[in-house]
Amino acid sequence: MTMIARHAEPGRRAAWHGFPVWLGLLPFALVLAILFAVPVFSLLRLAFGEGGFTLAHFQRMVDVPVYRSVLGTTLGIAALVTLLAVLASYPLAYVMATVGPRMRSLLLLLVLLPFWTSALVRTTAWIILLQSNGVVNKLLMGSGLTSSPIAFIYNLSGVLIGMTHVLMPFIVLPLYAAFRNLELSTVQAAESLGAGPLTIFARIILPLTAPGVVAGSMIVFMNAIGFYLTPALMGGPGQTMIAQMIASNINTDLNWPFAAALATVLLVATISMLVLFQRFFGLERLIESGGGKAGEPFTVTSRGRSPGGWATVAAAGLVAAFLIAPIIIVFPMSLGSSPFLSFPPESYSLTWYANFFSTSKWVAALTRSLQIAGVVVVSSVVLGTLAALGVSRMRPRWRAAVETIFILPMIVPVIILAVGLYYLLAPTGLVGSIWGVALGHVVLATPYVFITVRAALKSFDGNLELAALGLGASWPTMFRRVMLPGIAPGIAAGAIFAFITSFDDVVIALFLTNIRSRTLPKLMYEGVAHEIDPTIIAASCLIILVTILVLGANLLVSKRT
Amino acid sequence: MTVPALGKAVSIRSLDKSYGATKALNGVSLEIAAGEFCTLLGASGSGKTTLLKTIAGFENYDTGAILIGGTDIGPVPVSKRNIGMVFQNYALFPHMSVRRNVAFGLEMRRLTKAEITSRVEEALALVDLTAYAERLPRQLSGGQQQRVALARALVIKPDILLMDEPLGALDKNLRQSIQLELKRLHAAVGATVVYVTHDQEEALFLSDRIALMDKGRIVQAASPRDLYDRPANRFVAGFLGECNFIPTPTGTVAVRPEKLRVGSQANDCNQVFEARLLSVIFIGRGYRLILELEGIEITVLTETSDEIAALRTNGLVRMGFRKEDIIATE
Ligand SMILES: Nc1ncnc2c1ncn2[C@@H]1O[C@H](COP(=O)(O)OP(=O)(O)OP(=O)(O)O)[C@@H](O)[C@H]1O
Ligand SMILES: [Mg+2]
Repeated sequence: MTMIARHAEPGRRAAWHGFPVWLGLLPFALVLAILFAVPVFSLLRLAFGEGGFTLAHFQRMVDVPVYRSVLGTTLGIAALVTLLAVLASYPLAYVMATVGPRMRSLLLLLVLLPFWTSALVRTTAWIILLQSNGVVNKLLMGSGLTSSPIAFIYNLSGVLIGMTHVLMPFIVLPLYAAFRNLELSTVQAAESLGAGPLTIFARIILPLTAPGVVAGSMIVFMNAIGFYLTPALMGGPGQTMIAQMIASNINTDLNWPFAAALATVLLVATISMLVLFQRFFGLERLIESGGGKAGEPFTVTSRGRSPGGWATVAAAGLVAAFLIAPIIIVFPMSLGSSPFLSFPPESYSLTWYANFFSTSKWVAALTRSLQIAGVVVVSSVVLGTLAALGVSRMRPRWRAAVETIFILPMIVPVIILAVGLYYLLAPTGLVGSIWGVALGHVVLATPYVFITVRAALKSFDGNLELAALGLGASWPTMFRRVMLPGIAPGIAAGAIFAFITSFDDVVIALFLTNIRSRTLPKLMYEGVAHEIDPTIIAASCLIILVTILVLGANLLVSKRT
Repeated sequence: MTVPALGKAVSIRSLDKSYGATKALNGVSLEIAAGEFCTLLGASGSGKTTLLKTIAGFENYDTGAILIGGTDIGPVPVSKRNIGMVFQNYALFPHMSVRRNVAFGLEMRRLTKAEITSRVEEALALVDLTAYAERLPRQLSGGQQQRVALARALVIKPDILLMDEPLGALDKNLRQSIQLELKRLHAAVGATVVYVTHDQEEALFLSDRIALMDKGRIVQAASPRDLYDRPANRFVAGFLGECNFIPTPTGTVAVRPEKLRVGSQANDCNQVFEARLLSVIFIGRGYRLILELEGIEITVLTETSDEIAALRTNGLVRMGFRKEDIIATE
């Protein structure tokens, strides 16, 4: 205690037994330095030449047509996905803003579910739906609309479908907030001045919702350029994106320096987007959405919807179906009994679940995933909470910079972290044990805990702390009895995000595990890339169920407080 | 903008509207002459906004009809009604400059660029905002925003101008100066105005006619003078201005505070009572006396006089009124 007291700010009263800033910041800063900065900088060094400075690898990127086209494809796909996500988000956000509270919560759930469903599960579901003998093609051919199957996947449309599906929430949510901030009277004023529905959309709604859409689009684009799994599984050779190129240079060509150069390009692109975003919107926008305002929010009055309004509702219905289809389709399919995937199944059974739990490789992978997730939750909760406490009592001057650094692992594409850690840890023997993956997951997951606890601390009344200290409580006692109960919901939410981050990850596991240490998602990935057997669908459903259970538990916890 | 009598007459015929179980409008009928300034006055929840919104077309009505200039506007969409609307929160377009805001309605009417420019200038001059044309709404004070909203509504030469508590968000001084401004503008432009307020002084000052609303009905519609002097019933008497309800042997009568007489002045009254004096409050131009009669508080407004100044609280005083000063009896 005396040691801690010495580090308290000199200006404070003697009774102030504060929590030292450095104790909060140091642990996560060390983790980031060793497991994030060192691997990333090693890659940079590789890229610019270990012996002497060279730009040869970058030169090669420009000179060789294949690489040029991969860079072009990456930007093109990211732009298309952003555009599609914006187009699909408008009708949905409009409907969310104009329906009753129940319907609104349901739609919100539809938007968020894909977001929380593991990338692998989503991708698997899309493949089952869209492959040439998949559900959609069977329906189309059965109804006589087409005579031969349409190629939805292993081409551009597959990549666009898969990526738009998961990235849409980044636009729908800010757009919905923008619609709610729009005042009904503003729209009515335009109407009374003679503006028809299209003019109102173009001249009032579009400009007033644009900031939210632009912010969301930047996030989508930033995410999209680093995508690995979806283009790898749902695209064809023509849709190879930069992340896949990095992986193949390491796995097949063993060309580390060139892979590092590609990673550098991806990193620079991402960071530039981040800086732009920071300039225009501020990073808080990533963390929390803005407050309310007076005036009746935009809605539908007793006149009801116009024909255009109903058309928009229909469009929103299609978008909602698009969001939910893959997730609901896998449940009935997992209950089929035939080894051939069909929808709807001819007969129902639990065969594939039984198969899952009686096959040692699946059970072992599940156990390993849970073990890793356990380690990750505990470590990231401790690191993230300490970091949030430290940042909350830092001087404001450096706070924004430290905050940005602490959430960087969320923003930098996972492939870069995975490759960097692989490079760093390969010589240590940690690759192939559960510890290597766990370390990677801790770096990925801690920012989530940091953000949720930071938000909880912001809403925690600082006077309570001072009151407890004033009553003679020491800082640790105060923390245990006053502050911890107050921020517990934030910690719980962070723990859940950490769990899901670890439990769903494929990319880190792809690089940091081998056949003896593979996790459940990695095992599924190998199956999906090869051929989907129904056990994978059962595994997908189990993952969805675990996710829903965990999110439900969080809801219960946050409701109670 | 000086063309006289642009406005059209409005005829509202037995309008009904319910929100679920609430009857927001209950058989409302009202005739408003062309160029008239008509105020809807009433307590909160009495249906003023609802009536205004149905006229504008923002809300449907269940039964009845609304005619503007003799035409039923039921089937006409809002954007084709040629109605000017000033909202309580002004509802300026936050992303457009003052000039663009005012020009919006004219652009919708596909006027030529030259005509738009000249009419916008004219409208801005009318509300004295020429110097602020390039500002965004958030860079203006509340009163200036209010005037932009007015200019934006007037520039389209609306058949009727609807205003829902346009001064509600302003402080008292500003409100008074804008009231003057409104009166001047109405005289200059000659539009038919339907104005909503729950401030009775504002209603008395501005209106040619006041329609007093209560629980979705129009209780009385008349000129300010008639409404004050000849209220149709006790509700109207009590709502507009202060009013005492005095128990007499023949029933309760309503008398305005300034019509009650006290002390020696009560001598030539038709009815005289002995009331207990609760308090005497000096209010500058005179006194406000609070009396008690049979358990009921009565307010009297008198001029300054030595006799009143000498009155003692808790003593009995003579109080009376003349027959012709009774405004309503039940
Ligand atoms: N959108 C709505 N949905 C349900 N009920 C409504 C709605 N709008 C108004 N009402 C109800 O209709 C009645 C009349 O409301 P209105 O807004 O017309 O009152 P008002 O006279 O304008 O009151 P205020 O002076 O407070 O503005 C009220 O009982 C109100 O609760
Ligand atoms: Mg109102």
